[in-house]
Amino acid sequence: MVPDVPILLLLGLLGGVLALDGTSFGQFMLSRPLIAAGLAGIVTGSPHAGIVIGVLLEALQLAVLPVGAARYPEAAPAAVAAAGAYAGAAVDVPVALMAAVVFSMAWGRVGGTTVEWLRRTNVGIAVPGDGQRVSPGDLERMHLKALGLDFVRGAVVTITGLLVLGTLLETLGWIPFQEHWTRPALALSAAGALASSLRLFGRRRLPLFFAGAAAGLAVLWLK
Amino acid sequence: MLLRSFAVQGSWNYRTLIGTGMAFVLAPALRHVHAGDAERLRAAVARHAELFNAHPYLATVAAGAIARLEAEGAPPELVGRFKNALRGSLGSMGDRLVWLTWRPACALLMVALLLGGAPWGVAVAAFLVSYNALHLWMRVWGLNAGLRDGLQVARALREAPFERLGDWAGSAGAFLAGLAAVLAVGWGETPGLPYTALGAAALAAGVLLGPRVRIVAGIGLAALLIAGVVLASNS
Repeated sequence: MVPDVPILLLLGLLGGVLALDGTSFGQFMLSRPLIAAGLAGIVTGSPHAGIVIGVLLEALQLAVLPVGAARYPEAAPAAVAAAGAYAGAAVDVPVALMAAVVFSMAWGRVGGTTVEWLRRTNVGIAVPGDGQRVSPGDLERMHLKALGLDFVRGAVVTITGLLVLGTLLETLGWIPFQEHWTRPALALSAAGALASSLRLFGRRRLPLFFAGAAAGLAVLWLK
Repeated sequence: MLLRSFAVQGSWNYRTLIGTGMAFVLAPALRHVHAGDAERLRAAVARHAELFNAHPYLATVAAGAIARLEAEGAPPELVGRFKNALRGSLGSMGDRLVWLTWRPACALLMVALLLGGAPWGVAVAAFLVSYNALHLWMRVWGLNAGLRDGLQVARALREAPFERLGDWAGSAGAFLAGLAAVLAVGWGETPGLPYTALGAAALAAGVLLGPRVRIVAGIGLAALLIAGVVLASNS
């Protein structure tokens, strides 16, 4: 559901800060979906809801590589939006978890598109003209303006996502959903995405992957 | 310069990439070196705002080395050639180590801990500490190596343990990928052979399809969502 205005603004602030952490400032990886969604859950007063959606988004985002000028989805604002909207709907609407995950994956693409827009805009606001000599102070102002714009972009993407998904969940809340599909389907999607990360490490490490899978079976058996 | 390096990608753009960011990092050193000569200072800032790219954590290597060259009064052409020679290797070394192995391995550790039953705070702390231990070390080591070695910094890069670290993280990551994937199947909480078989198929699909499985999963989930809504509406 769409959160109250103070929570909406707080989540927008969180989305802006985490968008900065994604590329522009820090890169401490507070912007990972599991952390972003967990923090959003804490802000909305439903940390468990944030963690549930966060772990699914983390699994689905894990193998995305932010290399150079490549196009890639932006995870943090989408995770904050999904967790914020889901936290308000989790108790009442069974369809909410799956809808929030699907929406977040799509909204990450929208976020990625706004990153491209920002990078084009930065050419105009943060690059000295050809042959133009600038003082360090002028250059610092250009750089900080670009940083500020990225923060605003992240906040706007987050708040817009919250409004869109919140409204969508309110609409879906009227429809009785086939609930029993949700959890297994999400679990299998997450498992497949986690297994796909083996590609990053090289298929020659398949024996280690199997050893990990065996350890996982042992943990499940012990639980 | 170290603190400024955290914002080196703050003005990422499609013309000079992180050029403005590199000049932002170098600004304190340039002010110091060219104190009292405003015109030379402005020229130096403009030169260092030109096209540059590197992995953000290893950009400090270039920043340290360039600051040293500027302090030694090296000709601008030499500094320019040095930057061009360095930027490719700083990008590929950092991408291979950090994005390709270290970050996914640390993230898999976080997911495996959480799915294994650890509290969210413990899983997140394990990720942040393990990931940022390397991150912060790379920034500090890079700046020190650049300042110390200047033009000879390539030797320090060759001798750095990046390849060994990447190899180790790759092995740990492969193990954790298997562990986390099986725990994710368990999270589905659906007993029975058909679900177990689907779980094995999901793992096989992930291994065989690689990152493309994400698109398949997204389309599949969206289709299930629509099917669920349609069936529920008709029932």
